[in-house]
Amino acid sequence: MNRSFNKSQPLRNPNCNAVEVKSKYGAEFRRFSVDRVKPGKFEEFYKLILHIHRIANMEVMIGYADVHGDLLPINNDDNFVKAVSTAHPLLRIFIQRQEEIDYTNFASNTITRKKKPVVALRNDVNRKRPHIRIGMPQDFRPVSSIIDVDILPESHRRVRLYRHGSDKPLGFYIRDGVSVRVTSHGLEKVPGIFISRLVPGGLAESTGLLAVNDEVLEVNGIEVTGKSLDQVTDMMIANSHNLIVTVKPVNQRNNVVRSSRISGSSGQSSDSNGSTGHMYVNIGGMPPSGAHGYQDDLESDEDNDVVIEKNIKRPSQRSNASLASSASRTQHQNPTTTSGSAAPPSPPTRPLSVVSTASFHSQQSLNGGSHHHQHSSLSYQFHKDLNLQHNPHQHNPALRHSNGSLHKILSSLKTDPRNSLALPRGGVEEDGTVITL
Amino acid sequence: MKRFRRHGQESQRDRLKQELFAFNKTVEHGFPHQPSALGYSPSLKLLAIGTRSGAIKLYGAPGVEFMGLHDENAAVTQVHFMPHQVELVTLLDDNSLHMWTLRGHNGLSELLEIGRFTLTGPPGAPPSVTRVTAVLAHSSGELLLLGTEGGHVFVVEVPGFRELEERNISLDQIASSVPDDYIGRRNLEHVEALQENPVDPDQVIIGYGRGLMVIWDLEKKLAIQHIPATQQLESVCWTEDGKYILSSHSDGSYCRWMVGGQDTNEEEKSDIPYGHFPCKAISKIVQLPTEEGPPFLLFSGGMPRASYGDRHCITVIHGKKHVALDFTSRIIDFFVIRDGPEHTEPSALVVLVEEELVVIDLQTEGWPIIQTPYLVPLHSSAITCSHHVSTIPLKLWERIFAAGKHQNAHYSKKPWPVTGGQNLAPDPPQRDLLLTGHEDGTVRFWDASGVCLYPMYKLSTAGVFHTDADPNDNMNQGTEGEWPPFRKVGCFDPYSDDPRLGIQKIHLCKYSGYLTVAGTAGQILMLELNDEAAEQTVEAKVVDLLQGQEGFRWKGHTQLDIQEDPVMFPAGFQPFAVVQCQPPAVVTALTLHSEWKLIAFGTSHGFGLYDYQQKNSVLIKCTLNPSDQLAMEGPLSRVKSIKKSLRQSFRRIRRSRVSLRKQHQLQEANARLEAELAEMELAPVQRKIEARSSDDSFTGLVRTLYFADTFLSDSSHNTPSLWAGTNGGCVFAYMLRLPSVEHRADEPVTAQLSKEIQLMHRAPVVGIVVLDGHGAPLPEPLEVAHDLARAPDMQGSHHLLVVSEEQFKVFTLPKVSAKMKLKLTAVDGSRVRRVGMAWFGSSRTEDYGESGLLVLTNQGDVHVVSLPHVKMQVHYPCIRREDVSGIASCVFTKHGQGIETPAHTFLPLFYWGSKYILFRIQHQQYRCVSKNAAKHVMEHALLNDESEYKGRRIS
Repeated sequence: MNRSFNKSQPLRNPNCNAVEVKSKYGAEFRRFSVDRVKPGKFEEFYKLILHIHRIANMEVMIGYADVHGDLLPINNDDNFVKAVSTAHPLLRIFIQRQEEIDYTNFASNTITRKKKPVVALRNDVNRKRPHIRIGMPQDFRPVSSIIDVDILPESHRRVRLYRHGSDKPLGFYIRDGVSVRVTSHGLEKVPGIFISRLVPGGLAESTGLLAVNDEVLEVNGIEVTGKSLDQVTDMMIANSHNLIVTVKPVNQRNNVVRSSRISGSSGQSSDSNGSTGHMYVNIGGMPPSGAHGYQDDLESDEDNDVVIEKNIKRPSQRSNASLASSASRTQHQNPTTTSGSAAPPSPPTRPLSVVSTASFHSQQSLNGGSHHHQHSSLSYQFHKDLNLQHNPHQHNPALRHSNGSLHKILSSLKTDPRNSLALPRGGVEEDGTVITL
Repeated sequence: MKRFRRHGQESQRDRLKQELFAFNKTVEHGFPHQPSALGYSPSLKLLAIGTRSGAIKLYGAPGVEFMGLHDENAAVTQVHFMPHQVELVTLLDDNSLHMWTLRGHNGLSELLEIGRFTLTGPPGAPPSVTRVTAVLAHSSGELLLLGTEGGHVFVVEVPGFRELEERNISLDQIASSVPDDYIGRRNLEHVEALQENPVDPDQVIIGYGRGLMVIWDLEKKLAIQHIPATQQLESVCWTEDGKYILSSHSDGSYCRWMVGGQDTNEEEKSDIPYGHFPCKAISKIVQLPTEEGPPFLLFSGGMPRASYGDRHCITVIHGKKHVALDFTSRIIDFFVIRDGPEHTEPSALVVLVEEELVVIDLQTEGWPIIQTPYLVPLHSSAITCSHHVSTIPLKLWERIFAAGKHQNAHYSKKPWPVTGGQNLAPDPPQRDLLLTGHEDGTVRFWDASGVCLYPMYKLSTAGVFHTDADPNDNMNQGTEGEWPPFRKVGCFDPYSDDPRLGIQKIHLCKYSGYLTVAGTAGQILMLELNDEAAEQTVEAKVVDLLQGQEGFRWKGHTQLDIQEDPVMFPAGFQPFAVVQCQPPAVVTALTLHSEWKLIAFGTSHGFGLYDYQQKNSVLIKCTLNPSDQLAMEGPLSRVKSIKKSLRQSFRRIRRSRVSLRKQHQLQEANARLEAELAEMELAPVQRKIEARSSDDSFTGLVRTLYFADTFLSDSSHNTPSLWAGTNGGCVFAYMLRLPSVEHRADEPVTAQLSKEIQLMHRAPVVGIVVLDGHGAPLPEPLEVAHDLARAPDMQGSHHLLVVSEEQFKVFTLPKVSAKMKLKLTAVDGSRVRRVGMAWFGSSRTEDYGESGLLVLTNQGDVHVVSLPHVKMQVHYPCIRREDVSGIASCVFTKHGQGIETPAHTFLPLFYWGSKYILFRIQHQQYRCVSKNAAKHVMEHALLNDESEYKGRRIS
C-alpha cells in the first residue's frame, strides 16, 4: 500500500502536472506548486522560495524530504529536478538560514522520526541500519566513477579514480599474469597485467570498483598489451592525478546491464544514472560536470605546476630610491641569510591569504595598500586553476620559510584544487598590483 | 578533435623527417664482450676474435675492422684462417662450422658467411662421435681436418664442406697400430690436437687426450710414428724444421720428441718448468726459431698450483731470458707475429685475455708493450661516467696529446704489428674527445675522431687526496730473484682501492681548457692544463649543503682528506681548487661556465655555486626534503638495510620466544613466521601504483644544473642565471650578478633566487635548456666569442624547456607559464633516461637544419623531438631494453656548426658498456661492413649525462 496515498488525498486534479509544494521556514508554512515536467531552474526556484517566504536578503539552505523520508539538500538543477520528479505527491521543503544550518539534520533517516506510525514497518528496517550521516554537498567530491559504459563491452569496466585532493593513496598493486583471449585460432594464452593487491583503506579499495585479479586492459585509453609491467606501472604513475583504468573484472556478476537500468541511489557499483553511463559514486552535491571527455580534464588538471616567482630588482634598477629602500629593508630583516638570495620575507603578522606577483614598478604601493600586512618582496603566483585550499594557517607558515618552501607548500596543496575555493581571480593581476587583505 | 591535414605538406614534412633523422648504427668501439676465440692469418695480417655471443670480428691495420654475427646464438670456440686464403672457419659451441670470406665489393671488402656445416656421423652413433674438438686448416687450403670427441678425425673438403669419407682417420685404424705396451691404448679419448708438419703437408700429428700422439700420413693413410706420452695432453706443436714435436701436459710439463723413423721413441727432453710442487696444466706451447740465436719458447699456464694457481701467465723463454707475463684476466689464446725477410723472425706476441688484448714487442730489449690502437679496454677500471667534447681546438688537442706522450714513455716505439687491410677512410674532419671517468679516480681522454678510439691521456685525481692506495704498485717489474719471474702486463684493473675516488661527473671547456671533475665523496676538482710538471698546493673549500637542516645524520662514507703539503703534478691537467660537499654524498650534477668562471654542483642534499676565480662559494641551497630519511644514508645503505631487516626479523623471533612460554605456542609463532617468509618469497613480482608525493625519498637530489644568459626577471634585460632541477620535479632559477670584468677578481658574485617551479607530475627533472628567440638552444659559453656559433637571438622571447623523466614542457620567459608539452610516460610507459640537444642538418641543402632534442628512453628507443614545438619526430629502437647499463651509459653528441664538414648529416650517439658503440642518425644508408668503416664524427656536446638515480616510486 502506498503510504502517501492515505495521507495525501488533497490531490485536486490528478491529471495536472503540477506538484504541490509545502515549504516550511521556521514555523511558517507556504504552499504553492511547480510544474512536474518542467520544473525550471534551481536558481528560479530559489528566488521563488525567498519571495514566497519574504526572506529576500537571506542566505538559506533548501532541503526536501525524499521518498524514504531523508532530508536531502536542493542546491542545483539536478537535485531540484530529482526532488520534483520524485515528489509523490507532495514536495516537502525545509528552509534553513545558512548560518543556522544544523548539518546533523542532513542524514539518511532524519525525517523518518517525524513520520507517522504508518511507516512503522519502514522504521523497523531503519532501526537496524546504522545512522548514516550525509555531509553537506560542498563536502562531496567524486572519488571514482565508471565511465564510457555505453561504448565498452559489458564485460569491461572503465574506472576513473580521482586522486586529487584525497589524502588516500591510490593503493593498489599490479602484477604480470596470463590472460586468455579469443582469437581466430581459438583460445590463446597471452601475457596480461592484473591487479594483485588492494591496500586497505586506499582509494582503489574504497571505491569498490576494482578488485584483486581484475585484468588491466587500458590505462587512460592506451592499451597495455605488449607493454611490460614496469611500463604499465610508469604509465599509471604518470597518470596518477587522473587515472582511468579499463579492467576486465574477475567478478563478472556486477556488470552494468545496459538494457535495463536499475535505478538506485546507494552508490553501488551496479548503479548508473546518466544517459551516457557516467556514474558518480557519491550521490548528492557535486554538480556533474557533464559528460566531458576525460582528456580535457586531464589536460587542465596537469598544468598545475606551481611557479613561485620572486621578483628581484635588477641591479641596474637600483637607482629607484623607493625600491632601494624597500630592498634594503628586506635585507635588513633577514640578516642571517647566507647567500642573500633566498631572503624570506619577514613573517606577516597575520597569515596572507592571497599574494600575487609584485612587479618592481608597483612596489611603491605595497605599504600603502596593505591593511595589516607588511609587504613582502617574495610574491607567489599560482598559475591557472591551481587554487589554495583556504586554510591559511596551514600553509602560510610554509610560505614564510622559503628554504625548502616548496615541499611544504605542496604538501599543503594536496587538497583538491578544483573544488576548493578559488583565489579571487579578479583581484589577481599577472604582473601588477599586490593584493592584500 | 579532428585535424584536417593538408596532404601535400604532411608528406613533405615526412620526407624531410626521413632525410634529417635517418638512423644508423655505425661503429663499435672498445673491447668485445666475452671474447672466446682468437685467430690470425699471417698472410692477410688480420686477427680474428670470436665472442661468446656468436660474433666474429676481424681487425687489421688501425681503422680496418670487420664484423660478422652468426645466426646461432652460440659461443665461438675456435677460429681458423685457411692458410694463404681469404676464408676463415669458425667452430661454434653448438658443433656447427661456419665459413666466412672477405669479398671485394666496390673497392671495399665485406665479411660474409658463405657456408655452414655440421658433421653427421653414422646413423645411431652417439653425438660424441661427431663432436668436434680439434680443427686443422690444412695448408693446401682445400682440406679441413676435424678431430672429434670420439677420437675420429674427419676430413672435409672446403669450400663447400664435402665430407671425404675415404680419407677419414677412424679411431680403429689408429688403435690397431698402437704399440701393445702403451698403457692408455684401451681408451685414447678425444682428439686434443691436430698439427701439420711444417715441411711435409702430408704428415699430420694427431694428439689424443690420453697422451698418445700419432704422426699420420694423409696420402699413404697410415701411421708413421707413435709417441707414447703418458700424461693428459694439452697441446702439440711441431717445430719449424719438422724435426721435433713439443707436447704440453696437464701436470705442467712439456716434452720434446724427435720425429724419426723408429716407432719406439723415447722423449728427448722433458721438463716441468715451475716444478717440484704440483703445477697446473700448460694449455698451449709454441716454439719458434730465430735467424740467429736461441729459439723462442712460449707457453701459457704451468704455474705452481698452490702458490700461483690463480695467475694467468704466459712464459716466454729466449736464451737466458725467462719472463712469466702475468695477465690481468684469463688467457683465451695467444699467437706470435713473425716478420723479417722470410717472415720467420718472431716480432710480437699477441695475447687475448678475457678483458683486453695485449701485444708485446719481442724484438726490443725488455719486451715492452705495444700500445693497441683498437680493442682498448675502456673499462680497465670500471667506467663511472663519460663526457664527450667535439671540435676540439687544435691548440688544446696538441697540449693534451703532448701531456699524454709523457705518460706513454714505457710503451714500445714499434708500430702496430697487425697491418692487414688498408684504411680508406678520409681523415676525420675534426678532433673529438671522449672523456671517461673511472672508479679509481682517473679520467681517461680518448681520441674519438675516427673509427678507432685511441687513448690520448690519463689524468689521476688520487694524488690530491690521502688514500691507502700505493700510487705505483702497478706495472712493477718483479723483484730480483723471484721465481717464477713474474711481470705484470695489461691495464685491466677492476679493483679500486678507494671507491670514494670514483669520478661521477666531468665537464671540460674546450675553449678555455678548464676541466672540472666531481666524485663519489662529494669532491669537486677544478683543473687547468699545464704543459710543465708543477708543484701545487690545492686549496680546499668545504661547503655545507645541509644549511642547518636538522635531524639528519650522514651515514655514508667520510669525506676524502686533502693532501695539505704541496703535491707534484705531472704535465697535463693540474688541480688548483677543490670543493668538498658536506655531507660527502655523490655529486649528481655538475656544470662549468668558463666565461663567468663559475661552477655549479649538486648532490642529493642540495646544490652550490662556486666562483673559481675568487675561490669562494657564492650560493648554497639545500633541496633536502625534511621528511626524506633515505637521502642521508650513504651509498652503502642497501647493505645496511638488509642487515637491518635481518636484525628485525631476529628480534621478532626473540620477542615471540620471550612472550610465548609454552612450547607449542612458540612453534606456532615460528610456523607463522615461516609462512610469512614463504609468502614473501612466493609472492609474484608486483608493482605498487602510487602517485609521487612530496614526501618521497631523494626528491631533493639535484639532477641537472644549467647556466643561461636569459630573461629571468623582465623581458628587456637579459641576465646570467643558474637553473637547477631536482628529482622531485622542482626547478630553481637564480639570477646571478657578475661584477664587471675589471672588478671580477675582487667584487663578489651574487645569486638571488628568482623562480621556483614545481612540476605537478613530480617526475625527476633531467634536462633544462633555454631556447632563444629562434627556438634554438643557447650556445655554450665562449662559443660565440670564438666565432663558432651564431649569437643567440636576444630580441625574441626566450623559452624554457624542462625535460622531466616523463614529459617535455616548454614555458615562456620571463613570466613562467606553460606553453607546450609532450607527454611520454603517460602515453607509452617509457621514461626518459638520456637527453641531448642536437643539430640535424639536411644533406641536400647545406643551409637547412633543425635543432632537435634527442631522447633515449628506458626502453632503449631513441626519439627525436622537434624544438621549440616539442613534437615527436621519429623514433628508433637502439639499445636492447634489457641492456640497462648500456642505456645508462649512453652519451649523446651534437652535430656542430658544419664548418668544412661534408654534406652528411647525422647525429652520433655513443654508448658504452664494456664496449663502445657509436650510433649515428644520418640521412643516408651507410655500410658498416666496409673495409673501412670510418666516418666523420661531428660536433658533439653533452647536454646531460645523468647517471641512474632512479627516483622511481616503485615499491
